[in-house]
Amino acid sequence: MDFYYSLAQIIGFHTLLGLSAYVVLLTGQVSFAQGGFFAIGAYVAGMLTVISGWHVIPAMLAAGSIAALAACLVGFPALRVRGLMLVVATLAFGEAVRLFFFNFDYQVEKGGSKGGPLGGEGFRQIRWFPEHGWTTFEVMLLVLIVVGLVIGALWWIDRSRLGSVLRAVGEDELAAQSVGIDLTAVKVTAMTIGGFIAGVGGALYAHYTTYIEHTNFTVLLAVFAIAYPILGGLQSVFGTIVAVIFVQGILVEGLRFLGDWRSLLFGALIVLVMNLRPKGLIDGAAARRVARLLRREGRHA
Amino acid sequence: MGVVDYIQTIIDGALFGATYSLIGIGFTLVFGVMQRINMSYASTSLAGAYCGLMGQHLLGLPLWCAFPLSIFASGLIGYLVYLTCFRFIPVASPLASLMATVGVLLFVEEMIVRATAGTPHNFPAIFEGNSIEIGAFVLRADLVGVFLVGVLTMILLMAVLFRARLGVATRAVAQQPIAAQLCGMRLQTVNGLTFVIAGLLGGVAGAMTGAAVGILSPLITIPVTVKGLIVTVIGGLGSIPGAIVAGLMVGAFENLFQALRSVSERDIYVMLLLFAFLVLRPGGIVSPGRGRD
Repeated sequence: MDFYYSLAQIIGFHTLLGLSAYVVLLTGQVSFAQGGFFAIGAYVAGMLTVISGWHVIPAMLAAGSIAALAACLVGFPALRVRGLMLVVATLAFGEAVRLFFFNFDYQVEKGGSKGGPLGGEGFRQIRWFPEHGWTTFEVMLLVLIVVGLVIGALWWIDRSRLGSVLRAVGEDELAAQSVGIDLTAVKVTAMTIGGFIAGVGGALYAHYTTYIEHTNFTVLLAVFAIAYPILGGLQSVFGTIVAVIFVQGILVEGLRFLGDWRSLLFGALIVLVMNLRPKGLIDGAAARRVARLLRREGRHA
Repeated sequence: MGVVDYIQTIIDGALFGATYSLIGIGFTLVFGVMQRINMSYASTSLAGAYCGLMGQHLLGLPLWCAFPLSIFASGLIGYLVYLTCFRFIPVASPLASLMATVGVLLFVEEMIVRATAGTPHNFPAIFEGNSIEIGAFVLRADLVGVFLVGVLTMILLMAVLFRARLGVATRAVAQQPIAAQLCGMRLQTVNGLTFVIAGLLGGVAGAMTGAAVGILSPLITIPVTVKGLIVTVIGGLGSIPGAIVAGLMVGAFENLFQALRSVSERDIYVMLLLFAFLVLRPGGIVSPGRGRD
């Protein structure tokens, strides 16, 4: 059973990662920096619980806030540019964060052994959950509650004025600007929200694996982050969730019998899906169909 | 380290930077024509270089064949990328094309890992010979060779773009796709051929990277992609001369900081250079002309 609990947790982190990219993508910006924010969240939360001895939940919130701050700071210079230049800027930021942690040593003496990040060796022994006697099931519950809260918040944002503003900027910047929307403010807000979600995800991830190192946060992680919302479709948060479950649950775990060949399959599958459904798995038409179906069920009941 | 050492480091870096220039030009070329991003470019270039190696290892071709074979294979791969990522995806969904090229990037990288079992392979040094000494400075013969081939390729590319009919058509499509179509140019053909040209260029770039580094390993695809993209942005999007200058500059800068600090910190400074450009001169060294649509 523990296998399914871990699987649910992995899907949980990846959903957070995907949703952090989803918020930014709503404004039409492609950000490859989400892996960097995820790394910041992981390292900050790990240092808070291991070195400062914090409880995991405030550490998680603090990690999210610091990642959000980083996102906000990166947002200002990076969001002056668009398209390819933004892709490159965010890609470079993500790599810079990874290289920073590659060179980051901060070891602290604690209870006879040393704890804390140690450059290329990685950051070991982030053991808050086992030390406080949490079972895998309880950890999974925490992850799922966090994911549920984030999904709920995004669902609500999508229906609020902020959601319309984000989408307006994503659809047509010029039109959005001419009705008086401050483009920079909207983009930086989206980036900050995305950074917070990624930071919280990273914090949970660090405590789940108990060991993080810079190679966990390469470009590949950033690619996964934007792959989920693009594969799933930007019509609603559920597209991202469907894509995460599809990729992590079915492709990575379900096809384990294929061995290493499934990574090959993954690339080819992305190409195929994008050719067949350029707007994502759950595009406008599919979302409407599902909504109509639900409404009809409701009427019959 | 004295002044001579610093200048020597910068010269070495700039010579090596010619490979970054080539990759940067490839990114710029595709972006200039299609206004869309081909993230798989650097990896397909290296895949071309691998095909060259394969000819040598599997078919037993002589050493010098690796080079033309790389170029040819890369051109072919370029066209395949066009077919899979751009030809059938509607113009209105640029995100889908971007994601598809990322898919190709992952696919190609995994293919290389599969085919080589992850081990690095020696790439034949195309230029051998003694180092050239000019005064106090020593120029490595292989890097000078790489640099010269790079310059030659760039001149050839400029000649194709500004003299040949295909180049004129490419530039016309880049500026006004609809008007170009009305004038009787076939959009799909021109776009496809652009990818072939970019692919051929990528073959040169991949082989030169292989020759300059000395080995090919699946580990270098992502760093080369990142460097190539940085060169494209620093040089100014869509500008070929800008990409050339930026490539040499990034190479020199990187080598200097490698000497001053260490290999593991080197790339952080390259990223900082990029951010400095984004803040101070977002258009890049050679800003593209305004009024394009």
